[in-house]
Amino acid sequence: MNSIIGIAVKDIKTFFREKGTMFWTIAFPIMILLLFTAIFGRDIPFNANIGVVDNDHSPISASIITGLNSTKGIFTVKNFTDKTEALKELNTSSVRAVITIPKNFTLNLTVGIPAHVMMAIDETSPDVANLVGNGIKTFLTEYYKEYYHTVYNATYLEPVVVNEEQAVVHEKIGYKESIVPGMLTYPLLFSSMVAATGAIVFEREKGTLKKIRASPARPINVLLGKTLAALFQTAISILIMGVLAAVLLGPKLNWNLSLLVPIFFLGSINGIALGLIISCIGRAPQEASNAATTIAIVLQFFTGMYFPIEYLPTYLQQIGRFIPMTYAAQALRDIMIRNATFGDLLMPIATLTGTAIILYVIGVMLYRRWVEK
Amino acid sequence: MQNPNLRILTYDLGKNCFVFVSNKETVKLIIAVASLKHKADLLAGKKMIIRVENLVKHYGKVKAVDGVSFSVEVGEIFGLLGPNGAGKTTLMEILCGLRRFDGGRVTVNDLDIVKDAYKVRATIGFCPQETLLYDLLSVRENLAFSAALYSLDGKKFKERVEFSTKVLGVGEFLNRRAQQLSGGMRRRANLAASIIHDPPIVILDEPTVGFDPTIKREFWELIKNLKSSGKTVLLSTHDMYEADTICDRVAIMEKGKVAALDKPRVLKETIGGEPAIHVRVKNSQTKKAIATLKEYNATLLGDEVQITAKNPLGIMTDVSNKLASQGILPEKIEVVEPTLEDVFMKLSGRKLTEETI
Repeated sequence: MNSIIGIAVKDIKTFFREKGTMFWTIAFPIMILLLFTAIFGRDIPFNANIGVVDNDHSPISASIITGLNSTKGIFTVKNFTDKTEALKELNTSSVRAVITIPKNFTLNLTVGIPAHVMMAIDETSPDVANLVGNGIKTFLTEYYKEYYHTVYNATYLEPVVVNEEQAVVHEKIGYKESIVPGMLTYPLLFSSMVAATGAIVFEREKGTLKKIRASPARPINVLLGKTLAALFQTAISILIMGVLAAVLLGPKLNWNLSLLVPIFFLGSINGIALGLIISCIGRAPQEASNAATTIAIVLQFFTGMYFPIEYLPTYLQQIGRFIPMTYAAQALRDIMIRNATFGDLLMPIATLTGTAIILYVIGVMLYRRWVEK
Repeated sequence: MQNPNLRILTYDLGKNCFVFVSNKETVKLIIAVASLKHKADLLAGKKMIIRVENLVKHYGKVKAVDGVSFSVEVGEIFGLLGPNGAGKTTLMEILCGLRRFDGGRVTVNDLDIVKDAYKVRATIGFCPQETLLYDLLSVRENLAFSAALYSLDGKKFKERVEFSTKVLGVGEFLNRRAQQLSGGMRRRANLAASIIHDPPIVILDEPTVGFDPTIKREFWELIKNLKSSGKTVLLSTHDMYEADTICDRVAIMEKGKVAALDKPRVLKETIGGEPAIHVRVKNSQTKKAIATLKEYNATLLGDEVQITAKNPLGIMTDVSNKLASQGILPEKIEVVEPTLEDVFMKLSGRKLTEETI
């Protein structure tokens, strides 16, 4: 039997019999998927408690509270009679904002005097504060428009009106559609890197690498065998994640396997090559293992897997452009959301191929240098 | 100027031995003689399957292998005997291509181990000290993996599994996972995996370390079986008895050098010193016994009286009679032949076992 196949078969058999490793390989994508399903499997992926102190006690203030409570789950209203009590809860983040409707709110509204509402926001989480603040302001604006229409039987006109229309290139997508390609990028980065690092580290730790090195199997054959096994493990993760995502989330996505498979393959090879490099650089097996996990965790933030890279500061966005997985994530989005064709994917495919070759060659060189030490 | 402590007797090429008596100061000279011996082997036109010439290996400033030269003849069991840190494992790992070296030349089957590294590896079966089996794979799967590393086809693999079953006795646990094997079974499976490709040379690093005497003897038989099946065996050991029992020739290593090299019998005869009669008497009679046996140059060794003699059996009766005439009843009287331990002690001034326990 060929040494490449022999090494791959041995690694795959070991993988299936290493119950802990197999459990986590399968459990990991399931856990990630269940978590993501819970977070993004609904239309509104955000919910915050807000406190309301109604000093007006009018039908209008009551309708504002009812309105806030029926914002499709964005806000859950907690009523307070005492503002101090409400602010106390704000300080413990039990509520994210406190709205105080003053005594003369309805009066001012009906006589045309600006009707003020007091809003205190929990600033401990800037993103949440921003979302909650903007959400409340938007709600009150819309409420006023509705009020204006009811009272004056006319439409309130804003200086500039933005009308939404159907996107030309693709249908409107929800959160779950946007997150699934990112989730499928996860195994490319995590499973492949950790599997490749683990494969070498395991042999080093057990001393069995000595046996392989004393044989006529060439380093490239050893690495190709390890790569095949790591590809297999990564494929299992992708498959589980893909099937579960399709079943649990039911996203409206294009599952064009003839385009997805090459991207998965190239992305995995990049991850595996990175794993090989890390396993050769780490002096101690544990060091290499920890490095692989840490690097995978850090890189995921630069690749746009979970959130658009535009969220990152400009200089961090530049780092993302040097990470092959960024291109894999984008290509998966393009295929699954934008129905991209092969022609549309030439750039990411070329980039992923190029980086895979470069990283793999570096991995082979480092491995050779390491074994010949 | 002649060194009064140095007594070189002769070097007899015909008898394939060198004869001298050494003391602590003569190690350098002995190494020179060992090197001469190596050259003599080459000149004698023997088919040498492994040739090591002036091999040097440093670990930083430490010289782990210091100008080592020796040759291993086809079909022999060649032992590297020495304490931990003598350079045995480093030497073996160099032969197997696991370590680079800083100087010298090594050929295996007339192939240079650097230029023809992969060809050389195909001719060697390396069985390191630790058992390198994959615990979660069965013995058969471990063998299959080793076979794959050497690109063995299915037919050859089957044949070799049969060989391992017959010669190494792995048949009874072929389908058991390595993690379920006893220590002895693991070693046998490890050896089987190391030679699955039917290599002409088998290199065993401390093959019986940690074994109980019964398994050790069992393993010695396996090694002898390998020799019978035409293999050349190079093994390292710090067990002088093992080296004495199974090795055709032994190179005694000390501080990275080959201090002496020959058949165990020749080493014992030439370096180990003369046989001795050891007599144990009651403590109160020790002095009297030494005085009684004064004409035999009796000395005290530990709690026993020692008499060295070329022909100890010839004087045994006389020794017993003399002691009896003085009313001394020996608790024990025996002839002790020199061992490789004595050889090592003569060469290095210390016991081989001191550092190895």
